Amino acid sequence: MGKTLKSSTSNRRRFLKATGASVAALTLAGCASDDAGNGGGDSGGDSGGDSGGSGGDTGTTTGTPEQSVDEVVIGSNHPLSGSLAATGVGMSNAIKLAAMRKNEEGGIESLDGAEVTVIEGDNQGAQELGGQVSEELLSEGADVLTGCYSSPVTTAATQVAERQGVPFVISIAAADNILQGRDFNYVYRPQPPARRLASDYADLVPTVIRDGGGTIDTAGLFYINNSYGQAIRDSLREFLPEQDVEIVEETAIEFGASNANTQVSRLRSADPDTIIATTYVAGGVLLAQALQDQDYRPPYLTASASATFTDDDAVSDIGEFANGVLDNNYALNPTVDKTAEVRSQFLDNYDQEFSASVGMSYTAAEVIIQAVEEAGSVDPDDINEALKGLSYEDHISAMGAIEFDDQGENVNALGPVNQVQDLSVKVVYPEEYAEAEPQV
Amino acid sequence: MGHLVTSVAPLPLQGGGLGRFIDPFAQFLTDITNLEPVLLQLLAFGLLLGGVYALTALGLTMIFGVMDVINFAHGIFLVVGMYSVWLVSETAGISPFLGIPIAAAVLFALGVVVHILTVEPIIEAPQQNQLIATLGVLFIIQSAIEILFTPDPQQVELSLGSVQVGDVFIPLGQFYALVIALGTMLAVRAFLNRTDLGRKIRGTADNRDGARYVGINVRRINYLTFGIGAALAGVAGGSIALFQRFDPFTGETYLINAFVIVILGGLGSFPGAFVGGLIVGLIQVFGGYYLPGTTAQVLIFLLFIGTLLVKPEGLFGGAEA
Repeated sequence: MGKTLKSSTSNRRRFLKATGASVAALTLAGCASDDAGNGGGDSGGDSGGDSGGSGGDTGTTTGTPEQSVDEVVIGSNHPLSGSLAATGVGMSNAIKLAAMRKNEEGGIESLDGAEVTVIEGDNQGAQELGGQVSEELLSEGADVLTGCYSSPVTTAATQVAERQGVPFVISIAAADNILQGRDFNYVYRPQPPARRLASDYADLVPTVIRDGGGTIDTAGLFYINNSYGQAIRDSLREFLPEQDVEIVEETAIEFGASNANTQVSRLRSADPDTIIATTYVAGGVLLAQALQDQDYRPPYLTASASATFTDDDAVSDIGEFANGVLDNNYALNPTVDKTAEVRSQFLDNYDQEFSASVGMSYTAAEVIIQAVEEAGSVDPDDINEALKGLSYEDHISAMGAIEFDDQGENVNALGPVNQVQDLSVKVVYPEEYAEAEPQV
Repeated sequence: MGHLVTSVAPLPLQGGGLGRFIDPFAQFLTDITNLEPVLLQLLAFGLLLGGVYALTALGLTMIFGVMDVINFAHGIFLVVGMYSVWLVSETAGISPFLGIPIAAAVLFALGVVVHILTVEPIIEAPQQNQLIATLGVLFIIQSAIEILFTPDPQQVELSLGSVQVGDVFIPLGQFYALVIALGTMLAVRAFLNRTDLGRKIRGTADNRDGARYVGINVRRINYLTFGIGAALAGVAGGSIALFQRFDPFTGETYLINAFVIVILGGLGSFPGAFVGGLIVGLIQVFGGYYLPGTTAQVLIFLLFIGTLLVKPEGLFGGAEA
């Protein structure tokens, strides 16, 4: 037999078939989503468990006062299993918490106390399931939809909602093209899209560094190689030069990579003033590990729309090296009491971290509930009209009143600057949302 | 923290055209001519990554080489190895290094059980049956891990850091994995070549019917082979846990790479798996440094296709005995 246990042409053919089949199977199973990961700018989260409300049949769709409405059904389309589930479960739980809090207050007042119910669908982080799950949720009686954490999944899921004329409030999904250029009438996004996040980075982070006496003339980009990472990269290319920051290096990492050694070698060679990371949680952890392994850290380690440096668990895993990292991303508003209250309630109910991603999902659910309250109806068109005219201030995200433009984007969306200080993520800029002074 | 690397790979910015792909190769040749220090660093990273890849492919190539079974569960076996090391380290306070042989033992037992329950009953059926069965095992175990430990990533509390040799940084976690890969490969080869049981396994791999005629208990050999293949996955997974966070889905990327490596190196060949792993690792690292985006993956699959066309049996594959 020699060195080879067995080798034959037929065997090889079978093995090749299997290899192809394995890739296909894993992909179909949604286990190898290219957009998977932990949500920074792009993804959302998964939820586990059941609805926050009473379940059962859906609310009737009527705007006429003579027909009673017992419940309002929110369809949550998130990855409840698969590689995105770690964050996705928390996001769906946040939607259930928003429903629970509303029900504890007596339900939808304008609908005589109708209860808010959440039904969940598991998209597994797989693009091909995004639309299917939306269909299923609607067939189960959802009056309004939310999701999906991953941009490709959200692209598919929103298409179904638009076609069926049912409002869809995006929980998290950053890719610009989900809304732009699609002429949607029923889809809304409270969070800042990729272009806005990158624009906010260019406006805010260099300001923080320069105000602190630092210098930032050059940057190296480290991004996840998918639509989310590329969208942020493209916008940074556009906005950074306007702030006199030259990009001297760009390097991408694939989802599922085992390390970031090569990428850090490139960045180390270019030696920029700052490295800007745009990654899911795992990618940022790999970056930090490779930087430490190569004993290298630029003067300013920063991130734009990266999940890693707003995730307490990831920051804890990275350890001291994470301290000082500046990251612009959507954030919880630490200056309002409601944030602490919701966080505490979330921890009590779900024993999970209430991260910025989870908080953004909570905000999306509140936007839906508020729109239904203002519509006084569960008719999709009534809710849609309410969303168009909505101005919602009583939320926990670090941004102004949520108001949507013609494309469904939140005109007051903001990606403030967070900084890791003493292994805790704190909002440091702009001042109106800051809970700590930036340390440069 | 001196900056020892002087070469700067071309910035893959908006520039298009053929130059986008030619320039990196020109840069690579220039760096070789100038003996740029970065080349040594990249070589080290490539060997380390390749060693890990090779380790993940050993069990897969063994099970296929002996049993003709395409084991889709191999990826999740890797993950079980990771969780085993993490679990004994977290709960019993045992060193993660000592956790690796424990992971191997756990995986051996799991492999035998999986074989008895799912593969053995259909071992003579068309190959796709075993393929589907092991795919089912993958999903069942993956879901079980997700339920037991949540999908949250886990991490072994071990900070190995790196050592600097001249201008070259060597991450110790990956270095230990490479050493373990080499040691494991040599140990398994010695077992196969120098023990009676190993010779029976090789005989069964050569000709299952012939093995039966000469009195080899092929059924027992199947148990052993599947168990050893799974144990190898345990060693690989345990080694990966030394330096990488993991979750129930971490095995998927490694599984796909392992398939490529097994084909590249030759079905059933341990040296082939090792060399194939190193080739893939080196291409990923050098390609990642010099080529735009993740074009290195394209190179790997071009080599893969080229191997199939020029040497279909793989680099170390031989004619069937």
